[in-house]
Amino acid sequence: MSTIGENASRVDGPAKVTGAAQYTGDLEFPGLVHVKALRSVHPHARLVSVDARAAEALPGVAAVLTRADLSPQNSHFGPVVKDQPIVAVDRVRYAGEVVAAVAAEEPDVAEEALDLIQVEYEPLEPVLDPIEAMSPGAPVLHESRVQSESRLDKGHYRYEDRGNVLTSYSVGRGDVDEGFVASDLVFEDTYTTPKIQHGHLEPHVVAASWDATGKLTVHSATQNPSSIRVQLAELFELPQSMVRVVVPYVGGGYGGKVHLRLEPLAAALARKARRPVQWKLTREEVFLTGHCHAAVVRIKTGVKRDGTILARQVEAVYDTGAYALTGPSTSRNGGEVSGGPYRIPHQRLTSYCVYTNTPPTGPYRGFGVPQVCWAYEAQMDDMARRLEMDPLEMRLRNLVHDGDVFVTGDTLEAVGLEDCLRAAAEAVEWRGGAEQAPRAAGPLVRGKGVAVMIKTTMTPSHSSAGLRLNADGSATLLSGSVDIGQGVQTTLAQMVSEVLGIPRERVSVTLPDTDVTPFDQSTSSSRTVFSMGNAAVAAARQVADQLLEIGAGELEADPADLELRDGHVQVAGVPERRLAFGDLFRARFGGAVGSLFGNAGFQSRGGVDPATGKGKASAFFFLSACAAEVEVDTETGKVRVVRLVTAVDAGKAINPRQCHLQNQGSMLMSLGSSLFEEMVFDNGQPINCTFLSYLPPSMQDHPETFTSLLVEHPHPDGPFGAKGMGEAALGPVEPAIGNAVANALGGSRLKDLPLRPERVVEVVRGGATDWGRSLQGLP
Amino acid sequence: MKREMVLNVNGEEHDVEIEPNRLLLEALREDVGLTGTKEGCSIGVCGACSVIVDGRLVSACLTLAAACEGKKIETIEGLARDGELHPLQRAFVQFGGFQCGICTPGQIMAAKALLDHNPNPTTDQVKEWMSANLCRCTGYYKILESVMAVVEGKVDEGRRDEAVRQARIQSLYQSDTYKSNASD
Ligand code: FES
Ligand code: FES
Repeated sequence: MSTIGENASRVDGPAKVTGAAQYTGDLEFPGLVHVKALRSVHPHARLVSVDARAAEALPGVAAVLTRADLSPQNSHFGPVVKDQPIVAVDRVRYAGEVVAAVAAEEPDVAEEALDLIQVEYEPLEPVLDPIEAMSPGAPVLHESRVQSESRLDKGHYRYEDRGNVLTSYSVGRGDVDEGFVASDLVFEDTYTTPKIQHGHLEPHVVAASWDATGKLTVHSATQNPSSIRVQLAELFELPQSMVRVVVPYVGGGYGGKVHLRLEPLAAALARKARRPVQWKLTREEVFLTGHCHAAVVRIKTGVKRDGTILARQVEAVYDTGAYALTGPSTSRNGGEVSGGPYRIPHQRLTSYCVYTNTPPTGPYRGFGVPQVCWAYEAQMDDMARRLEMDPLEMRLRNLVHDGDVFVTGDTLEAVGLEDCLRAAAEAVEWRGGAEQAPRAAGPLVRGKGVAVMIKTTMTPSHSSAGLRLNADGSATLLSGSVDIGQGVQTTLAQMVSEVLGIPRERVSVTLPDTDVTPFDQSTSSSRTVFSMGNAAVAAARQVADQLLEIGAGELEADPADLELRDGHVQVAGVPERRLAFGDLFRARFGGAVGSLFGNAGFQSRGGVDPATGKGKASAFFFLSACAAEVEVDTETGKVRVVRLVTAVDAGKAINPRQCHLQNQGSMLMSLGSSLFEEMVFDNGQPINCTFLSYLPPSMQDHPETFTSLLVEHPHPDGPFGAKGMGEAALGPVEPAIGNAVANALGGSRLKDLPLRPERVVEVVRGGATDWGRSLQGLP
Repeated sequence: MKREMVLNVNGEEHDVEIEPNRLLLEALREDVGLTGTKEGCSIGVCGACSVIVDGRLVSACLTLAAACEGKKIETIEGLARDGELHPLQRAFVQFGGFQCGICTPGQIMAAKALLDHNPNPTTDQVKEWMSANLCRCTGYYKILESVMAVVEGKVDEGRRDEAVRQARIQSLYQSDTYKSNASD
């Protein structure tokens, strides 16, 4: 029986329900010292002096790291541009930036030492808003753009020399200006999304040590051990073989643990202290370490009276904070799909990555796409209302389908989007027409909304895997993919077991240890099942071929007539003519010894030309839909999500239960960012960095109906047809809820997330709405 | 000033020498060496550090270890008996009530405290009680399903459930719906 599509129980289940599963913060190291960081109180300031002498003299302090310890050429890091200092050098660029760090015997000694460090700042004018940051005359955060060598997509960015705009991306087709002229109606709106935080329950944590040979070992709660090894080797001028990155179980990531975060400082401090160091962030510090790009999206769309979209122009500004991290790729990723999953003949799509004096950002589930999806799907409903069309029908009229050429130049394959949309709408009993729910007499009104999303995955990217088949017929897959909760060990074991014809319980899958596991680009972009899956399947096929070859000799049969089944090689359809794997080992090695190896890499090809924005943007496309029903209290402004349904095209669900968990997690995460999650700043100072003041959704926020649907349009390049899907459900949730609220309020539109009660009340009172405003055509 | 004391954890006595302001969370993780209890927020909001002291659910990040002297402390490590998982643990594995697992010890301890006290809670009671245990991965649906499976005595009927699920996989749309409010 095939294990593909089976709800295989998680191999990490027993460890995780008994408390035995080890996370980075659970590891013990002899001689460990604890790290605490001194952080800037200013959002922007020149660093005049840092004096750590008194701190260094405090008993129990092993070392203090300041800018004096950094060599000029190895002081900065970053995956795309090396703009982030290990500790602040000449300037601080956000309130919360690390200025110095102490390693001490006990955490409270380290805290005490921080108070002894004298720092003199000369405050500079900060720029906190990305639009202001783009304007001439704004204070400039970074003068240089030193590029990193560590990414496959290095050549795929368009750098801007001006001010705070680091990179931009644009792509187009047709002639938008002509398209607008030919349109019956043209709409122009601006939508915003705020800074939100990943909220992984495990704060960032790292342990670093150097051995006598000069080898650096880092245990880290990171999502991409191979990539940070490359960057650490570069930073500390070591061969990659002298850097070992080990990743135990990771307590949630959602993008928040991608790329170097704590590792450079921990490694530098461990080297200075000559002791292993451990640095665990507090919850407050997590908020200062990474979050989701806030965005301002201006979108102009021309439509025909029959609902056909003719032209669309988008300008999306992404606030990357004080340092770039993945800002260039996040903003490009959003820009590529900012026209939505629609056939639009005339498009001009532009996005910008802009520095501000706010904490650094980074990838967040959805990677720049939810921001634009919020915009194009909200405007879609407003246009439908103005055209007196059913919003579902208007979408169906314009959706992309198999074989369409996307604006980036990609030919779309395996597009199950229409099925997703229809299934989600059906699940909330979509009624057609504009009014979805009866208008009630009291303060409680109901409405429904739908939304769709398209998203690319990191392309090009690389994963390698090694397979070892043991003489007892069990197998070990060497994989550097991180378990961040998605169940990677289980799904990879399912795939390997399918190829080798052994029970999945006989396949063990490693967690990352770069001394042993081959390169894997990143556990992000929902790429693991697709990329590592392909590598694992290819490695397993190599071993399978060897088994068939040995078996052919022993069974005196043509390898083409043989199959692998239940740990045996057998003549297809003749179960009597078979040999156990152990017998094949005896035939090859003379006894129960030896290993059969398979080693394979999978590389997705493509990338976009920075000049045209075109190329092959994605190895596969994420496609998803959401439908929501809400109840709005028009007196208090409180929005209650009654029904929430997402449908995601998984290509082929290797383990449907795990796919549903990915969807359900995405759904509740974006329910939070739809209704209440937002990082709040006061003059550049973040003021709600705890779970009391920034509370993620709890079980109480659960909608009464909460449904995850999987659609399967197999992808020709995916293992067993699978595509990535881990973040697909997230994007359409915010606009579906927003559309449901607008529907409940008779079309009144909130354009800024989150849909906080006071904003809802303002709109109800006729304050801030201009739905369906058209620039031409109807008055 | 450090003081010697005995902490009774999962029925075993542990001699520890700790400061009077040592938190139970630190004492369990660092002095007793049981790291199954996790730290997520440090201010009593997320529930990752949930443990049971003399039958009451507490946040170990807000509880002084010294205040637990002479009391019975239960942690996730004490749930399995003689290698046999507790029904809640089996349910979380069987129904997939976890992903990254960092919140899971706390979720299970919170559920245990509830079920020890009230073996037949309604779905709404479970939701209310468990709302002090955050999970960012799962969306809670399968956590709720796991706890309700114990309440409804479904944990040992895993195979039948599995068969129903397998049948569903055959259809184009694989749906997972939990209607917690039958009136909807
Ligand atoms: S760590 Fe104790 S409640 Fe969050
Ligand atoms: S399983 Fe990851 S936070 Fe709950």
